[in-house]
Amino acid sequence: MTQNLLEVRNLTTGFHTERGFVKATDRVSLAIQEGQTLCIVGESGSGKSVTSLAIMRLIDYAGGFIESGEVLFKGDNLAAKKQTDMMRIRGSKMSMIFQDPMSALNPVFSVGDQIAETLRIHKHMSDKAAWNKAVEMLRLVGIPSPEIRARQYPHEMSGGMCQRVVIAMALACDPELLIADEPTTALDVTVQAQILDLLAKLKRELNTSILLITHDMGVAAEIADRIAVMYAGAIVEEGAVDEVFEQPRHPYTIGLLRSIPGIEGERGGELYTIKGSIPSINELPSGCRFHPRCPHVMERCLREEPPLMADERGHRAACWLDEVPKEGA
Amino acid sequence: MTEYLIRRTLQSILVMLLITVVTFILIHAAPGGPKQIYLSPNLSPEAAERQAANLGLDRPLPVQYFDWLGDLLRGDLGYTFKNNLPVGDLIWPTVGNTMILMGAAWLLSLIIAIPWGIYNSTREYGFSDQTASFIAYVGFAMPSFWFGIILQELFALKWDLLPLSDMWSMGKEGDIGDLLMHMVLPVSVLTLGFLAGYVKYARSSMLEVLDQDYIRTARAKGLGERRVVFRHALRNALIPVITVLGLDLPILVAGAALTENVFNWPGMGRMFVQMATQREYSVLMATTILIAFFVIIGNLIADILYAVVDPRVKLGRKGGASA
Amino acid sequence: MSDTAAPVTVKGVKRAVSERPPGLWKTGWKKFSRNPFAMAGLVIVTLFVLSAVGARWIAPYDPAQIDMMFPNLPAGSEGHLLGTDELGRDIFSRLIYSSQISLLVGFSVAIVAVVIGTFIGAVSGYFGGWVDTIFMRFVDVMNAIPLLFLNILILTIFGSKFWYMILILGFTGWMGVARLVRGTFLQLREMQYVEAARAIGVSDWGIIIRHLLRNASAPIIVNATLMVGGAILSESALSYLGLGVQPPDTSWGLMLSNSREFMLVDPIQAVYPGLCILIVVLSVNFIGDGLRDALDPRKKAFKPRKGLGK
Repeated sequence: MTQNLLEVRNLTTGFHTERGFVKATDRVSLAIQEGQTLCIVGESGSGKSVTSLAIMRLIDYAGGFIESGEVLFKGDNLAAKKQTDMMRIRGSKMSMIFQDPMSALNPVFSVGDQIAETLRIHKHMSDKAAWNKAVEMLRLVGIPSPEIRARQYPHEMSGGMCQRVVIAMALACDPELLIADEPTTALDVTVQAQILDLLAKLKRELNTSILLITHDMGVAAEIADRIAVMYAGAIVEEGAVDEVFEQPRHPYTIGLLRSIPGIEGERGGELYTIKGSIPSINELPSGCRFHPRCPHVMERCLREEPPLMADERGHRAACWLDEVPKEGA
Repeated sequence: MTEYLIRRTLQSILVMLLITVVTFILIHAAPGGPKQIYLSPNLSPEAAERQAANLGLDRPLPVQYFDWLGDLLRGDLGYTFKNNLPVGDLIWPTVGNTMILMGAAWLLSLIIAIPWGIYNSTREYGFSDQTASFIAYVGFAMPSFWFGIILQELFALKWDLLPLSDMWSMGKEGDIGDLLMHMVLPVSVLTLGFLAGYVKYARSSMLEVLDQDYIRTARAKGLGERRVVFRHALRNALIPVITVLGLDLPILVAGAALTENVFNWPGMGRMFVQMATQREYSVLMATTILIAFFVIIGNLIADILYAVVDPRVKLGRKGGASA
Repeated sequence: MSDTAAPVTVKGVKRAVSERPPGLWKTGWKKFSRNPFAMAGLVIVTLFVLSAVGARWIAPYDPAQIDMMFPNLPAGSEGHLLGTDELGRDIFSRLIYSSQISLLVGFSVAIVAVVIGTFIGAVSGYFGGWVDTIFMRFVDVMNAIPLLFLNILILTIFGSKFWYMILILGFTGWMGVARLVRGTFLQLREMQYVEAARAIGVSDWGIIIRHLLRNASAPIIVNATLMVGGAILSESALSYLGLGVQPPDTSWGLMLSNSREFMLVDPIQAVYPGLCILIVVLSVNFIGDGLRDALDPRKKAFKPRKGLGK
């Protein structure tokens, strides 16, 4: 078994608010091996973005903090690091791209300048060398006539172009891990596919590991090696992409899969919906956090919280149903 | 960019013309009409008639307006009742004096306010932030002339540290050290007035920028906090501050006028009030128009600066909003 | 300040909407009454208003009564709480009577300016087009002239009468309200319920008054409150320069102008009127800020910090 590039152990994060501490993630554990792509899937409010910000330690700037748990990056615990040390890691060994590319770029600097800045900071390149490399990066992410584009400002570009720039910026220093937080959500459908293809291609060429955050099972299916499903701040199922798609074990995952148009509901007419809505993590129900919305709820689910239980292939799920002998699933 | 500048300049000229129209209407709406305003009250009725005809006050209004406007454009601002002096000779010497006072206070307050506002934005609700907020509340609620009087009573009369008023001591005209001593109190009064607002603007503008996605991107790139704040946030934060600086100009000029009166500073404000008590209408109108002109030029400069700092303006997308 | 701690929460933490939300004014008052600064401001302004209204009974002397036997008495003198001025007039009584003028000017100017500003802003925002262009250019013009100078010019031309001053300050102070109302109307007129009202044949003015103005009332009130302080300051400045309130009437600004001539003899005289202005304006501004925080519906919900959740 190859070594884990990133391993998150029991990560609990939260925010200080007027009403005291508010939890955002609850004992999240996950791992990414070198060259792998892990997708975290979940509805908005499930804590998936907070998880990614916590890994980058950007959560500190957003008013939140890591309460407990470890973030091991190549065996190094990032959760215990000082921000000054994190600065050397962010952008060089591990970088991030965001949901809304138009607002993720600084409006007053040219895009070439913004890419070159990363190189100047981390690789200590000269202005000229950094600029040339920035143009190279723009070419790599498929921007036509990059020499001209590099001198343009973000507002002169389309959303898809901006996202390519952000990707170029993130990959400029050859990071080992790329965290992509909903990188396609704000884009047009056709552009979404292009950006996903680009990510897949770059991953192959540069051997970068990717942690992709998405609410879209379709996106996950396209690009992921493994999938982690988050619900109300916790991971409820995690496993290799084929297993999660073909033999989902958690009722929430099953619901998510059935609510994708075109996979199961294509001819069925009405689209499947999961009844109810995601609860606030501070107002969690007793026992299993999913039980009020679960179609298979049992008496035990109200009392006891199911732990993540792995099968022999490392496919984990937090559901008591697994213990019940299944009949034809 | 060029297109934007041309449009803004044309807009400014239009506003300027409208100001002359408003002023002109004001004179003609006055009780007694323009005759009361242009003619010395000491003239005999016949002489008044004759002079009114001389000045063309019996002609149709539009003709009079364009005549008057032409005179203005040629720099002919009219003559005073008393001694029949050219109005320009009265106004121009005061302009520089006001500029010295306002410029010094304005620069000083910016130099203090912008770093202070930035500092406060990174430490919201800290001691320094609360202090600034306290100063802002007091600064907005306190009559500046009262503050001036109190400073005079303390520093000039009670402790005798600084001169009470005027621009120079007798016989020391041209002595820079003497001028600076005279400037300390009025500049302090004005600076406090400007400072209150600017710290607030700088702080809130910075806070808004620090909340933007591109700041998160900058941090995700691994930039140090200093670089994030000074390179990535500052320039964006200054953009709205520049606009406010331009829009605030009329308030600043008014503040300077009051302070000039308290400290007997030979600037436009003091001259204006003196002329008001002597009912020298030509001087008052010319000064009002001149100050409006300065304000419009100031706004134009602020807009040009805005365009220089913000690349988005160059496409002209943002320019249309009324100044 | 109860709402100073930055509220931070995770987006998506939705509150259960169980009961019917209480009205804007009711929740507004609840928030307002919990703001100590705003409440202190309200108490102080109320005290000043009461003393202004009851000046006749509260003030121990006629403010214009000259007593050359006892000029420039220090504070705490027998029978004169704050002493007397250079003509032997009782300073405490003069302060109380001055508050009449200052408060009357403050509130009247705010009302005049709000009426004008609301009308122009409403017409501009609702009808748009060339009406809007003309009004907004006019606002530009008014904004480019330093108002103190314009006020002095107009007062010199028309004469320094008390009612003139109120009208002039009102006529030169409406631009902020006009902009605000216009902005709100521009947003609101695109709303569905305006379309609906128009579709069932409600007249333009009916829509403006019944539907739009009601929705714009909260920001207008906040703005009006903040304008009271500005008007009091303007009045004091004009009176200080000798162009506002004329003797034998009295106002704080006039008292300051008076005290200046005797600052060598009796410097403390300058302190009281200025302090009164400072305290009243500060209180009014606290009320205004309190109202803004209380009536701003956006502040009711916790503002999630950008970049979280989702």
